[in-house]
Amino acid sequence: MKTLLVVAALQDGRLKRSTFEVIARTREVAREIGGDVAAVVLHPAARDVAPELMAHGASRVHVVEDPVFDRHLNGPVVDALAAVISEIGPRLVVAPSTESFKDVMGALAARLGAGALPDVSEFGLEGDQVVAVRPVMAAKMMARVSSAEPLVIVSVRSGSYEASRSAVEGEVVPVSFSTRADAPCPVLRDILTAGGGEVDLSEARVVVAAGRGVRDEAGRDLVLELARITGAAIGASRAVVETGLFPATAQIGQTGKVVSPDLYFAIGISGAIQHVAGMVNSRVIVAINKDPDAPIFEYATYGIVGDAFKVLPPLIAAIKAQEGR
Amino acid sequence: MEEPFDCIIVGGGIAGLSAAMTLARGGARFLLIERGEFCGAKNVSGGVLWGTDLEKLVPGYADDPDAGFERFVNHRRLTFLDADSAFSVDFKSARFNDKPYGGVTVLRAVFDAWLAGKVQEAIDESPYADESFLATDILVEEVLMEDGRAVGIRAGDETFHAHSVLLAEGVNNLLTRQVGLEKPFVDADYVAVGVKEVLRLDADRLADRFQLTGRSGLTNEFVGAGTDGVEGGGFLYTNRDSLSVGLVIGMKDLREKGGTPYDLLNHFKAHPAVADMIHGAETVEYSAHVVSTGDIRGLPSELYAGGLLIAGEAAHLLMNAGKAIQGMDYAMRSGMLAAETVLEARKTGDFSKAMMSNYRKALDASYVLQDMHSFQDAVHLLHAGPMFKDVPNVLCDFGRQFFAVRSEPTPKAMSMMHAAVKRHASYWDLVKLGIKAARSL
Amino acid sequence: MKFCVCIKQVPDVAANVQTGRMVLNAYDASAVEAALALTEAHGGEVHLVLIGPDMAKETIRKALAMGAHEATHLVTTAALDSHAVSRLLAAHFSEAEYDVILTGKQSQDTDAGLAGGMLAEHLGCAYATNAVGLDLEGDSTVVVTRQGDAGQEILALQAPCLVTCSNDMNDPRIPSLKGIMASKKKPLHEREVTPEAGRTELHSTYAPPGREPGIKIEGEPTEQAGELVRLLQDEAGVL
Ligand SMILES: Cc1cc2nc3c(=O)[nH]c(=O)nc-3n(C[C@H](O)[C@H](O)[C@H](O)COP(=O)(O)OP(=O)(O)OC[C@H]3O[C@@H](n4cnc5c(N)ncnc54)[C@H](O)[C@@H]3O)c2cc1C
Ligand SMILES: Cc1cc2nc3c(=O)[nH]c(=O)nc-3n(C[C@H](O)[C@H](O)[C@H](O)COP(=O)(O)OP(=O)(O)OC[C@H]3O[C@@H](n4cnc5c(N)ncnc54)[C@H](O)[C@@H]3O)c2cc1C
Ligand SMILES: Nc1ncnc2c1ncn2[C@@H]1O[C@H](COP(=O)(O)O)[C@@H](O)[C@H]1O
Repeated sequence: MKTLLVVAALQDGRLKRSTFEVIARTREVAREIGGDVAAVVLHPAARDVAPELMAHGASRVHVVEDPVFDRHLNGPVVDALAAVISEIGPRLVVAPSTESFKDVMGALAARLGAGALPDVSEFGLEGDQVVAVRPVMAAKMMARVSSAEPLVIVSVRSGSYEASRSAVEGEVVPVSFSTRADAPCPVLRDILTAGGGEVDLSEARVVVAAGRGVRDEAGRDLVLELARITGAAIGASRAVVETGLFPATAQIGQTGKVVSPDLYFAIGISGAIQHVAGMVNSRVIVAINKDPDAPIFEYATYGIVGDAFKVLPPLIAAIKAQEGR
Repeated sequence: MEEPFDCIIVGGGIAGLSAAMTLARGGARFLLIERGEFCGAKNVSGGVLWGTDLEKLVPGYADDPDAGFERFVNHRRLTFLDADSAFSVDFKSARFNDKPYGGVTVLRAVFDAWLAGKVQEAIDESPYADESFLATDILVEEVLMEDGRAVGIRAGDETFHAHSVLLAEGVNNLLTRQVGLEKPFVDADYVAVGVKEVLRLDADRLADRFQLTGRSGLTNEFVGAGTDGVEGGGFLYTNRDSLSVGLVIGMKDLREKGGTPYDLLNHFKAHPAVADMIHGAETVEYSAHVVSTGDIRGLPSELYAGGLLIAGEAAHLLMNAGKAIQGMDYAMRSGMLAAETVLEARKTGDFSKAMMSNYRKALDASYVLQDMHSFQDAVHLLHAGPMFKDVPNVLCDFGRQFFAVRSEPTPKAMSMMHAAVKRHASYWDLVKLGIKAARSL
Repeated sequence: MKFCVCIKQVPDVAANVQTGRMVLNAYDASAVEAALALTEAHGGEVHLVLIGPDMAKETIRKALAMGAHEATHLVTTAALDSHAVSRLLAAHFSEAEYDVILTGKQSQDTDAGLAGGMLAEHLGCAYATNAVGLDLEGDSTVVVTRQGDAGQEILALQAPCLVTCSNDMNDPRIPSLKGIMASKKKPLHEREVTPEAGRTELHSTYAPPGREPGIKIEGEPTEQAGELVRLLQDEAGVL
């Protein structure tokens, strides 16, 4: 039986929603070819999340429990994944397209001689081909791509598929792992986090994103307040990240993160193609911009031409009034 | 100090590139500086490059499928608009399919970049392959003058010296003003504002809609209600898979009557006759740019000085006498003539004012200044109120009667015409205008 | 130190009208800038390598005009996927000397982001991706700040190593006139290459479905805000 292997993505020891999105689609593909779905988790306490992976349809969960996986570091991740994949021999390896997976995908594909289809929005199997659709040209175009290699690695943009449960009786398969002392690998010196407790951007249902138009602390406070009352994650354009008002982890776009929430607020964002590349698949887009000709209005479901500093206070008040928050 | 260049060309538009091509072929050592990120990046204007000079500049271009033009023109139309009708004079000829073409439509971002590539090829084959340059993304801020003679340029904190400087900086000619050949402020009478949109339309649909085959194209000029009473005219040109649609509007009249060029363009696009032509096409680019009116009184006080030449629209060389705007072909020819003067000067090492005056002589003898002189009346006529109001109204009124079939006794055409004239204009005004028009063209 | 920067010529994705104009991949421009800044501060040289057709020479010239010292042009007209690119680059680096190889984090046109990691694997060297900061320590330690999922990771790598660069790292310089002039005299080695087959195939590209035209909400800020909340609740059902 052909196995399709899902690489789980974790944040602070918990599975990311994108893992469930990916596993839901992988289950469908497995059903079509009469295969099964396995998962691999790299984490010091990997088996803790195994039940939830089984609840989403993973019949085997390969756990690599080594303290080194507490923090992301490409060397050991490539070594561990390569070992597991060689061992299982899956037809397809599927992973959420996180920054951590992007970090290892090329090296992993090269080591395993695999075909690599990164950052796809759709994938499936057609005969002996893995086919996929992926945005190219800063998401202005879609490309149909494929690989006929016996092993193919696919990474999937978050929000491309709906997560759904489908419990199976699964087993946990521990994998022994030890880091090779001689392996070429960077040394992790430090991690600068942007501050915890916020809603994860790439998973959020609502995103409030700020651009250069949110020019100062007062503007930022309005954005943060709107995000708070709507339960939103906070995003930003590259231009406003450069000013230091928002952290680089909030950057949305071709260089930054890709998001596809139900509701996206673009506040003081012009709508440059490289920004739009990261948010164009949001279901409802609200744009607030004082320039009526700003390109962002071409994408906006609802557009307000106006000064964010004048529009946000009544907007915040109106939302609070509606919801009694 | 480094060896001075034979010439530094400021501006990589049509005039500058045409000069550069001529210099490269003539074996001169030169530097062309363009402030845009690439040649064509800043050039939003453009529509039809008229005339046959392109064949001289890039021989055989018409047979190159990758040549940077859009379509050649074999179908021309002049349309008079009133509020809801369009009366056209339409001419199409298979003879216009013959090479050299008499006009090609261009998108400047494509065309200029292509032409720059051709110039680079010419440089690579010239004796100064490694010592002549097309430099982009650099703004020339100053022409260095010594004793009334241009000796080089300054860009940022870099200075470069040359035996001659050719200003091909376009209509926004700050350097021409800096060297004192033009007043600091240009009279609003001599400039108009051009607005233009590029609308994308699938190549097959475009070919079907406008009856195009291969690379043939249509140009359509418009006079009348499109500009909503403001002095000016409209155009629609077919590109490979897009349309260029725009207006050229008198700056003074626009200022007096109010409204923005953008509103006027939308008004024009909404005219039923125009809307039918562009429907389903998606706007991908909007731009506005100043353009000379072609009034010869707007020319700089002189087009040369010691070591200095001015070509193209920097010298306000442009013709707009109703049937077409000719700015690019004038830029091309003047650029070539300026470069020929530099080549001549190079032979003797004499870049004096007297030597440079040969450029003016050549220009006077060419169609550029000859036409500008002989069609001045037409240029002024185009600015006359009746031309863009009464004439189109009369023609459309007449058309509505003449082409309507109402199952009633039909008056003779001549009396229809009389009736139309009566409704819209004083008969004598129109007769005078007609006589003037006949004389001026 | 000797920096080798892999640069690619890509279509100008930001252009409204597809003009066919080709530019230096923005991520690679940042890599070139980083290498120049470091060699200016610590000494060393910057070499470039580009795989592509003849017309890509213009892009090499641009990076040379920025200040790189010399370049290798591996000439082929073949369409290449990241795998094929990484193989050609690996073959090149099996002969060329380098301390640090820099690549862009991804190609602007395909957004693949694979070639750097693949190349590091072929060469068997340590690597870091998505660098937003790059520095040198002593004669052989490269310190990278990389943008990770939840924050920035500070990594130390021993040369020889490879780093893929984000454009958030710096603002690439615009070549000066002197730079442009000097670039023509710099060594540019040219070699025909025959790539091996790729591992992926591109079948077709098409425009994504357009978004429905939206609604512009008019009025005073308070009215606009009220109307927006109503639309978000009643029409879109997202509040
Ligand atoms: C290779 C590459 C990758 C890139 N990747 C990214 C990326 O990942 N993400 C990204 O965002 N950008 C990216 N960019 C940069 C992108 O091109 C734009 O420069 C950037 O998105 C602009 O940000 P902005 O809209 O905030 O700023 P601006 O373009 O400066 O727009 C500010 C807007 O705010 C409006 N405004 C000002 N004041 C107010 C007010 N009081 N109220 C309301 N509106 C106001 C203005 O009208 C304007 O439209 C990338 C660029 C390149 C070349
Ligand atoms: C809407 C519109 C429609 C038109 N339609 C037509 C038409 O159909 N047919 C026609 O023949 N003409 C048309 N014209 C006119 C035509 O575009 C111009 O006459 C022509 O472009 C002039 O060419 P040029 O080379 O003199 O100047 P430009 O094409 O303007 O080139 C000047 C160049 O110099 C550069 N430059 C300027 N200053 C500096 C500096 N200080 N340092 C470095 N670089 C500098 C600019 O970036 C520019 O690239 C139209 C104009 C407009 C506005
Ligand atoms: N044709 C090429 N020549 C040189 N380097 C390349 C080429 N293609 C890709 N690269 C390098 O690989 C990076 C992008 O990888 P990828 O996104 O996988 O195409 C680029 O930023 C370059 O540094």
